[in-house]
Amino acid sequence: MHRELIHRRSFLALLSAAPSLLCLAGCDEKSFSTGRLVSVWGRRGISDGRLQKPRAMAIDAHDLVYIVDMTARIQVFTTDGQFVRGWQTPVHDNGRPTGISIDRRGNVMVADTHYFRLLIYSPDGKLLETLGGTQGHGPGEFGFLTDAIEDSQGNLYISEYGEFDRIQKFSPDRKFLLEWGGHGSEPGRFARPQSMAIDNRDQLWVADACNHRLQTFNTEGRLLKLWGAQGSRPGQLSYPYGIALDGQGQVYVSEYGNHRVQKFTPEGRTLGCWGTDGRAPGELYNPWALARDSRGLIYVLDTNNHRVQCIQM
Amino acid sequence: MFEIAFDSPWYLALLTILPLVWWFSFSSLAGLGQVRRAVAIGVRSLVFVLLVLALAETQWVRVSQRLTVLYLLDQSLSVSQQQSDAMVKYVNRAISRQRDRARQDRAGVIVFGREAAIEIPPLDEDQQMPRVETTVDREHTNLAGAMKLAQASFPHDTAKRIVIITDGNQNVGDAIEQARALAEAGIGIDVVPIRSSAESEVAVEKVIIPSDVRRGQPFDLHAVLSNSAGEGQQPAPVEGRLQIIRKTSNREQTISDQEIKLEPGKRVFKIREEIEQPDFYTYEARFVPRDAGHDTFQQNNQATSFTHVRGSGQVLLLEDFEHRGDFDLMVERLRAMNLEVTVRGTRPEELFTDLAQLQPFDTVLLANVPREQFSDEQVEMLVRNTQSMGSGLVMLGGENSYGAGGWTNTPLEEAMPVDFQIKNAKVAPVGALTMIMHASELPEGNHWQKVIAREALKALGEQDYCGLIHWQMREDWLWYPGLLKVGGGNRDRMLARLERMTPGDMPDFESSMVMARNEFAKLPDAAVKHMILISDGDPSPPNYGPNGAIGTLKKMGVKITTVAIGTHGPPGSTPLQNIADRTGGKYYVVKDAKTLPRIYQKEARRVARPLVFERQPGFQPQIKFPHEMIQGIDEQLPPITGFVLTNPKKNPLVEISLVSPLPTGTDDNTILASWTYGLGRTAVFTTDAGKRWATSWTGWQGYDKLFSQVVRWSMRPTGESGKFTVSTDVQDGKVKVVVTVLDKNDEFLNFLNLGSTVVGPDMKPIDLEIKQTAPGRYIGEFDAKKTGSYLLLISPGPGRTPIRTGVSIPYSDEFRERQTNEALLASIAATIPRQGKAGQVIDAPKNLAPAERLTKLLETNTFRHDLQRATSSQAVWHLLALSASCLFFFDVFVRRVTVSFDWLPLLAARIGDRVLGREGRPDVVATMERLRSSKAAVSDQLEQKRAALRFEPAPDAPGDVTSLKEELADSVAAAARTAKKTTSLTSEQEQEVYTARLLKAKKKVQAEMKKEPSQQENENN
Repeated sequence: MHRELIHRRSFLALLSAAPSLLCLAGCDEKSFSTGRLVSVWGRRGISDGRLQKPRAMAIDAHDLVYIVDMTARIQVFTTDGQFVRGWQTPVHDNGRPTGISIDRRGNVMVADTHYFRLLIYSPDGKLLETLGGTQGHGPGEFGFLTDAIEDSQGNLYISEYGEFDRIQKFSPDRKFLLEWGGHGSEPGRFARPQSMAIDNRDQLWVADACNHRLQTFNTEGRLLKLWGAQGSRPGQLSYPYGIALDGQGQVYVSEYGNHRVQKFTPEGRTLGCWGTDGRAPGELYNPWALARDSRGLIYVLDTNNHRVQCIQM
Repeated sequence: MFEIAFDSPWYLALLTILPLVWWFSFSSLAGLGQVRRAVAIGVRSLVFVLLVLALAETQWVRVSQRLTVLYLLDQSLSVSQQQSDAMVKYVNRAISRQRDRARQDRAGVIVFGREAAIEIPPLDEDQQMPRVETTVDREHTNLAGAMKLAQASFPHDTAKRIVIITDGNQNVGDAIEQARALAEAGIGIDVVPIRSSAESEVAVEKVIIPSDVRRGQPFDLHAVLSNSAGEGQQPAPVEGRLQIIRKTSNREQTISDQEIKLEPGKRVFKIREEIEQPDFYTYEARFVPRDAGHDTFQQNNQATSFTHVRGSGQVLLLEDFEHRGDFDLMVERLRAMNLEVTVRGTRPEELFTDLAQLQPFDTVLLANVPREQFSDEQVEMLVRNTQSMGSGLVMLGGENSYGAGGWTNTPLEEAMPVDFQIKNAKVAPVGALTMIMHASELPEGNHWQKVIAREALKALGEQDYCGLIHWQMREDWLWYPGLLKVGGGNRDRMLARLERMTPGDMPDFESSMVMARNEFAKLPDAAVKHMILISDGDPSPPNYGPNGAIGTLKKMGVKITTVAIGTHGPPGSTPLQNIADRTGGKYYVVKDAKTLPRIYQKEARRVARPLVFERQPGFQPQIKFPHEMIQGIDEQLPPITGFVLTNPKKNPLVEISLVSPLPTGTDDNTILASWTYGLGRTAVFTTDAGKRWATSWTGWQGYDKLFSQVVRWSMRPTGESGKFTVSTDVQDGKVKVVVTVLDKNDEFLNFLNLGSTVVGPDMKPIDLEIKQTAPGRYIGEFDAKKTGSYLLLISPGPGRTPIRTGVSIPYSDEFRERQTNEALLASIAATIPRQGKAGQVIDAPKNLAPAERLTKLLETNTFRHDLQRATSSQAVWHLLALSASCLFFFDVFVRRVTVSFDWLPLLAARIGDRVLGREGRPDVVATMERLRSSKAAVSDQLEQKRAALRFEPAPDAPGDVTSLKEELADSVAAAARTAKKTTSLTSEQEQEVYTARLLKAKKKVQAEMKKEPSQQENENN
């Protein structure tokens, strides 16, 4: 009888503990899971409107989505995935671009990574300007370009990786102003600064991908913030490739290694994750980039699934 | 579009008994009234029909209107580049103009030669291919193979058509048979014939010489040439030069070079020839036209033939080109012992490329040469040369030989009397190898990464550890726990895992290197720790700091070799070079992926290096078995300081002549061993010939004797083999071998059992059976469809020297057939597919300009839909059975329950009044009254029923009645009190109180009734 009682008690204790254990176990996935899938569009292919391993994405002020893929095509879509127009970079035998962004005038800046240059196109695909083109680590020379961004004064920041992971700053008339960074894991250095975003205080947010962290700089390259550590738990990062800001201070990061999007406060506290690895809608496979439209919806470039997923987060 | 089909339609015959169901139901359901009976019969009929349909296994069939067209492009050598370009243009236009986008038709492209490959998978896109990018073996045309691949590549949910663009000159497979199979599967076939170009053609068809001639015996060489005119051209003579070249193992000599005028048709040119030196000779006839415009294909302008003049034994010694001269002393001594030794390096231009080139030699010595200096084919040739052609093969040791030379798991290891892997871990320190794979953007990157990983894995010993890191969603080991011992059956499992490897885009090297470092740390005893990294240089470089991956790996003694391939832009990658430089590894820049396997073999060899056993001041090899190779050798051999560890094969044929006293307690100490392998002999000598380990042997008097005896033992028997005459003839892809045998008295020798071996250009043995067909005459035949040398060895019997000869197929059949095979193409197109129409031969007059011809070809719509439509069916019998079950209940309901519809007119009238705004009619009140009276009547009936069921106390229990009355009176009084207190009590509650009291009273009566008998019993007692 006594033994039976103990058993019953143990059973009840276990029963009561189980939900808490389950709660703890699911902490990674469930309790921090946030966001809602709105739509999925894009299909693998090389014809107009289809995507072949897309690696960079940007959204302009008119909510047009610019995507560059492994065929070196820059394709323009509406936010519901309707193909609008497209063009291709002049040469791409050496490799395809891995970065795209929109400047203040609405022009499209394409990081032509393996040609060590930045291509600036009008929104309809007319090549307006080419910056760089020489491999090297001198001023105005580049390694593998990853991204470019403009601040409110029209200064241009260009990130690169390879031997000399750094950011170079150019004046609006394309004069070299300064550079900072270098390959390494110390604060202020980079290991593949894959993408950048700039906030309304002209603070530069850099996705320091292979150091699994984000760094924030002022326009003179002074380090302001640094947070993030490698891992798969909420709050941790694994190869943050894409970064987007919502203007309210929140930061959205696409993680190449964790196959998810994570939302943070400016101080690096996680506000939740969306996505897991896989091929079904709502699942991601090595996402490279993400962008935000005027309605606040987040578009994730689901690279190895050759598509775009739109989420509300 | 949907249809219905039945898997067991004969069950539908049961529907004929439906009238019987009606007849029985009509009479048995007469009492239900007309409407209910009709409904009941209807429902019953429906149930019956549904059950019958379920039994008939009804299928719901979806019919697809989509069509898939696969274009099959002939890329064999008989198709010129111009014609190939025209094909691409045609296919691009056909897809963009003819594909029905609304119907979501699909289009795809397959290219074929000897094998077929998918150029573009079937997709519903207007795909445009700039050019054909897939490479196939162009030396043959395998139409049937391409059709088979197409059949397997079609999506299942569309109609199917193939459009074959070819000249129809197939030389592998049977396209007609395959067309029938396609027709049976409902696949339509259209054909676009390729018209041969109009130019004339000159070809050297063959060179005829006796295959086995005697020294000084004159013989005639016949060169057969043909000159044919193009379609619609007048035959005309062609002028040019005919050259006859004689090649031996070490020189090439033009024996005839003459201007000729080649008349139309076949012509034979004869040259008298005589050979003085014994050797294996190759004769080549070459025709060079004066005007190249008279000749469409240059590839068929030469032909070769072999002959053999027997003489003394020839030895070929292959030495490492990076260590030339290491065996000079031994070569010198062998020559002094009357052996003809030819020394060659292992540079690709020096090495043999054909089995025929090994035939002048009776034994081959591999003098401390590493595996990676030979291609797979060359290794196979060495083995076949021994196994099938009876040559000797001797491996001489050194630090680049046996397992230390990367020869583990090669066909050559199989041919040797010892295994190159060591099973005794105590003897051989282990090595550990990690491979990091990141070459996914390389063309066919996946394939090459599998190939190199396989080669490295094969070169490792049983005791070695191997791991492979790739990016598959994240950096990961291909097998667990990372570095895994290769032995114990793991090698096969690892090889199987390699097949599933699909390396992705790795962001950086640091994480992978950290993973590798952690695994290396678990193997502190590993003598060699090595890493090979292949990449396009895209990943972010590792951390070079002292605590980063590179720093810690270096501290652990791990060397990293990097291979830069497919680097973006300029060849090479500085970060990859830095990694190699900082860790002491090698850095390779590779432009051609074909060189990768050798690099991996060489690098894996670094891990296998512990297989070398060295001890100072040295140890004396001991004689274990007095083999003829060591006859007359002094038992006190000079000491050696090292050798390569090997393990003798567990085979009674293996004879171990010399062993080392060290290491003790193992059988991995073979110094000299031999056995017979196939028709030849192989021997291993695991120490060197005096350069590093056997230095004290150079002054030893037994040196010459030992090495010359080893070499002589291994050599193929030489000498006169009797009066055997062998001739070969090539006709229609077959080689006919005729052997004539005479005895000493020039009488025919009959009833001989002639053994024969044939080795094809792919080094695979070919069956050849030689049978006697006439006195002294023996004939055999074998297929020879591939281009290259076919070598024959005929064994006349015990005690006789084998006869060797060869046949050369100089060029592909693609250069023989030049006319379009109209008949074949017409037959293929005429095949009628199941439930469809026959295909079409899509052609245009040849005299049209290319653009007009293309327009004409595009007039035929290849996306026309006259084929069997694709269907997909779904069984619905279970749904039908479920519906029948539900309806069966409805059937019961209709029969058992009367449903009144009197309320319907009233409801309609009330709605009408409401809608039309009319006042209520007086008869409504009357109706309500009727309803009320009906309700009262029903209540009375119910009350009567309840009364009939209610418990009534027995009349012989008056006391009980009194108590019940009192109880009831109490209850009523209590109820009245309660009612005063709570006026809000509902009638339902009242009812409950009433029922509870009744129950209580009932229970009380029952209890008293139970007490009564017990009281009676007590009274009785």
